[in-house]
Amino acid sequence: MTAHIHLKEEHGIARIEFDHPEKDVNLLDTVTMLQLQAVLYAVQKRTDLSAVLVTSAKPKIFIAGADIHEIENLTEREQMIEKAEKGKAILRMIADIKVPTIAVINGACLGGGFELALACKYRVASFSDAVKIGLPEVQLGILPGFGGTLRLPKLIGIVKALPLILTGKVVGAKEALKSGLVDRLFPEKTIISQAIEFAKAIVSGPEKVMRQPLPWFFEKNPLGRMLVYHTAKKNALKKTHGFYPAPLKVLEVIRKTYGLSVDQGSRIESEGFADLAGTEVSKCLIRLYFLNERYKKFPWTDLKLGPEPVLQAGVIGAGVMGGGIAQLLSNRNIPVRVKDINTEALGGALREAYRLYSESVRRKKMKPFERDRKMCLISAGLTQEGMRRSGFIIEAVVEDLGIKQKVFRELSEITGPRTILASNTSSLSINEMAKGTLHPERVIGLHFFNPVHRMPLVEVIPADVTSQETIERTVQFARRLGKTVIIVKDVRGFLVNRILAPYLNEAGLLIEEGVSPQRVDSVAKRFGMPMGPAELMDHIGIDMACKVAHIMENAYGERMKMASILEVLKEKKYFGKKTGFGFYHHRGKKIEPNPSIELPRSLRVISDEEILKRLIYSMINEASRCLDEKVAKEAGGVDIGMIMGVGFPPFRAGLLRYADHMGLGSVVEDLSRFSGGANGVRLVPSPYLVNLAKNRQTFY
Amino acid sequence: MKRIAIVNGVRTPFIKAWESFDTIPAHQLGALCVTELLQRTEFDSRLVDEVVMGCVGQPAEAANVARVISLLAGIPQEKRAYTVGRNCASGFEAITSAAEKIQCGVDEIVIAGGTESMSNMPMLFKKETATLFLKLSKAKTILQKLKIITKMRPHHFAPTPSLVLGLTDPACGLNMGQTAELLAKDFGISRAEQDRFALESHRRAEISKDKLREETMDVLVPPDYKVCVRDDNGIRKNQTYEALQKLKPIFEKHTGTVTAGNASQITDGACVLLIMPEEKAKQLGYEALGFLRDYLYVGLEPARMGLGPAIAIEKILRRNKMSLKDIDLFEINEAFAVQVLACLRGLASEEFSKKHFPSGIPVGEIPLEKLNVNGGAIALGHPVGTSGARLVLTCLKEMKRRSLRRGLVSACVGGGQGAALILER
Repeated sequence: MTAHIHLKEEHGIARIEFDHPEKDVNLLDTVTMLQLQAVLYAVQKRTDLSAVLVTSAKPKIFIAGADIHEIENLTEREQMIEKAEKGKAILRMIADIKVPTIAVINGACLGGGFELALACKYRVASFSDAVKIGLPEVQLGILPGFGGTLRLPKLIGIVKALPLILTGKVVGAKEALKSGLVDRLFPEKTIISQAIEFAKAIVSGPEKVMRQPLPWFFEKNPLGRMLVYHTAKKNALKKTHGFYPAPLKVLEVIRKTYGLSVDQGSRIESEGFADLAGTEVSKCLIRLYFLNERYKKFPWTDLKLGPEPVLQAGVIGAGVMGGGIAQLLSNRNIPVRVKDINTEALGGALREAYRLYSESVRRKKMKPFERDRKMCLISAGLTQEGMRRSGFIIEAVVEDLGIKQKVFRELSEITGPRTILASNTSSLSINEMAKGTLHPERVIGLHFFNPVHRMPLVEVIPADVTSQETIERTVQFARRLGKTVIIVKDVRGFLVNRILAPYLNEAGLLIEEGVSPQRVDSVAKRFGMPMGPAELMDHIGIDMACKVAHIMENAYGERMKMASILEVLKEKKYFGKKTGFGFYHHRGKKIEPNPSIELPRSLRVISDEEILKRLIYSMINEASRCLDEKVAKEAGGVDIGMIMGVGFPPFRAGLLRYADHMGLGSVVEDLSRFSGGANGVRLVPSPYLVNLAKNRQTFY
Repeated sequence: MKRIAIVNGVRTPFIKAWESFDTIPAHQLGALCVTELLQRTEFDSRLVDEVVMGCVGQPAEAANVARVISLLAGIPQEKRAYTVGRNCASGFEAITSAAEKIQCGVDEIVIAGGTESMSNMPMLFKKETATLFLKLSKAKTILQKLKIITKMRPHHFAPTPSLVLGLTDPACGLNMGQTAELLAKDFGISRAEQDRFALESHRRAEISKDKLREETMDVLVPPDYKVCVRDDNGIRKNQTYEALQKLKPIFEKHTGTVTAGNASQITDGACVLLIMPEEKAKQLGYEALGFLRDYLYVGLEPARMGLGPAIAIEKILRRNKMSLKDIDLFEINEAFAVQVLACLRGLASEEFSKKHFPSGIPVGEIPLEKLNVNGGAIALGHPVGTSGARLVLTCLKEMKRRSLRRGLVSACVGGGQGAALILER
């Protein structure tokens, strides 16, 4: 068996060095843990050692955590408890070493890796930006099972430990030192030798590590602690809306184990771990984690292009989307030139960018000088000046094909043939835009979602003539902006909006049938959608929703026939949030029912279950057509798109995962039941879906 | 010698101090301007070797303001930048310094100009007050601190505007306005003449509004970005002689002639130009706006610094074996109406020429229809570090419009210097 861990020794100081033989990172998988145990037995027997260091041979990585595949494969509760207990038992061997133990954190130190470091008496880290310390387990729906919930509160107190464990927040070296997660920082180059000196100085006496005393009120008396727990719970519920059990379980474990020794609390933590690892939510979050990893690096083309820095990016159109894109670009330190025919629009774009940056300044995520510097990267003008020097131009003008075609034609005439011309259209044809341009092979769709700075997805839409190089460079560019890319076909609505459209339309139809917007929305929200469909349409703007619905109806015919209520609202100028009235009455941040919407008396009782199924299954149905038409390459792309583009609940791992979970047979059956009669062809299951169900296949 | 091409240039509108640009520090004004220049010229900023900026009141928070501007404007960090100072000729100095660097082969492509936010010149404490504050910060015990605090008096907190200090010559002890009054007396130039000259400056600037727009950029003013500044705001529409006559002299209450109306305005603004050898401009496919043929600076009596242009113009013409007829267009910076008028008189005067020119022969009369044809600093304002660059830009643009061959720009310099540049197309 190849060694995952080397035991080295120098002048009576032992070094346990992690070096995973097959991976770029160190993981605490089963093999590594067994070897660690063996090494620790050997260390235990030694009586002549003066100190023990835990180090990593990987550059910029200490230990990245447990092997998530192993956690995913756990099925039995006993198995889970045993895994956590076993891990803790091995880490306890580190904690039991009599001489000083020091974790030398040279990079990523996450999850189990940090729990191992916590088992050491001291922790030192390097100044490098690669240092990332935290317990991100809750993000996978589990809790730190190797003693993290027991040791971290003892080290830094519950006031500081709870937010870290409950949110899975990862901190850098300086913050880690400030909050007491590590005791010293050393330069990356000399960290090992300085850690050895540090060890010697501790052993011989002059070096003393002082830890911050814990505040009496919140830590040392039950009343204060109750207050802390109460606040933490409130915050957790506010964030998770009760869909994610892990933070609450962590809180429960910490409450129960407070004041207990690590040994005494061990079992409680392991059981908490098992409670969570068995949940569907955790399984879903883990699947989503892998899906995410896959799409972060998904090789969309076969080309391997070196990085090509863009001197400047251009944005045409300073509306909400154009402005948002400009802010995003500047935030990623790409100079950007925004062009609009309207000075007020340009001012609006700059104002919005300034507002977003100021918000970061207010939350202390950015210094005022950084805001001013980033603002300097955005320049604005009324002419095409500056577009020729832009290597990547994103068009975000009004959704009007004629205007867009004119913009593309003009741009193609003034720019070099290698300048990529991308459209942020959400509904129009990229192929049509490429027509009539010079060098149409550099025309492509690059669809951002609103708000641009927050939504992590972009759809990339090649036209038939778009070159592979353009596609690859666009993917690279989007990734440089920190976005996850899915490449989709040039069909109306592309992928995400095409799937979303039947859902929004179904909501409109339900309201027409007498279900109140509030009820439709609350059903969707209870399912986990961040916003109900009626509220979402108010946000998009009813006029916009109408426009898109028309385009969809034209493209897909009968099954996307627009709900007439949209037209009614539009007639009454109820444009949604921007005008104060839509499906709701918006007063500042508050929303109330719109008193002037009169619902017809419902002809029959419509159950919450029917509402939910009609909303969600209509999306599943459309998604199956998209797969059939190869709008998306695979089910994973659909799921990434719906989660990152419109906030489909992550704890359900995706729309099609959810479909698989419900059983395609039952989805088809329900859809067939809903279709026919007044509903006509709308909800008839697609042949592709029917076929999958018939053959007892799944999307994945 | 390589001929130095000025490819293009742009400036912010010139805005009266403490108005729209009040919240924009000099480095941001400069950065806005450089960014816009890069757009207008579609220039690849990776080709810029150096940024040279003139600035008289460098912001305390942006020492070497040129470097800050270079970085804010997205010019790669490997590139160089430095700030130059020659008072009111700092903008010239940036351009000529760039030309020298190019001639020496140190740089090939330079962005040069000036930036000034006179709104943001700090208020200063007296040295005495600063010493007290320093002691206070060093004091350890409360008692010690109290002791120092009791020594503080209200007069300690009366600030001195650095703007006033900057406009006073420490060598002769005179304020710039007082040096202008001196010239009024020397040459016997009346208040009426000065006011008429000022009126003409406003009149010409107002007529030329659309022309001036060709050199200015739009500035959306942070943090609201609701105001878009497009034009210089110092120009007083319908300015009348009568209105000018009503103003009170500033520097000499009873005997003075210099008023706020016939002196240049206190102004914020930046201006930059793209400069490279003629050959390089051709190679990159640019048609240059014009070329820098020659330039020089002269020194003279600080108390009569306003005569700098007269001395400099005579010298540069002589060096180029030219006469006033060879020059199609003149720009003399209007620090004060009286100072420009004094220069014109001096150039034409036998007596003055005998005293000041080696040849002893008058240079002649500069025809007013060729001088400051689009108005000058009296109407447009005088952001001290910027004006030189603005004069070059304005002159070249006008030469282009009129298809003229040769222009001469000049300015007086506080501290007793003069500058002159010959431009050609």
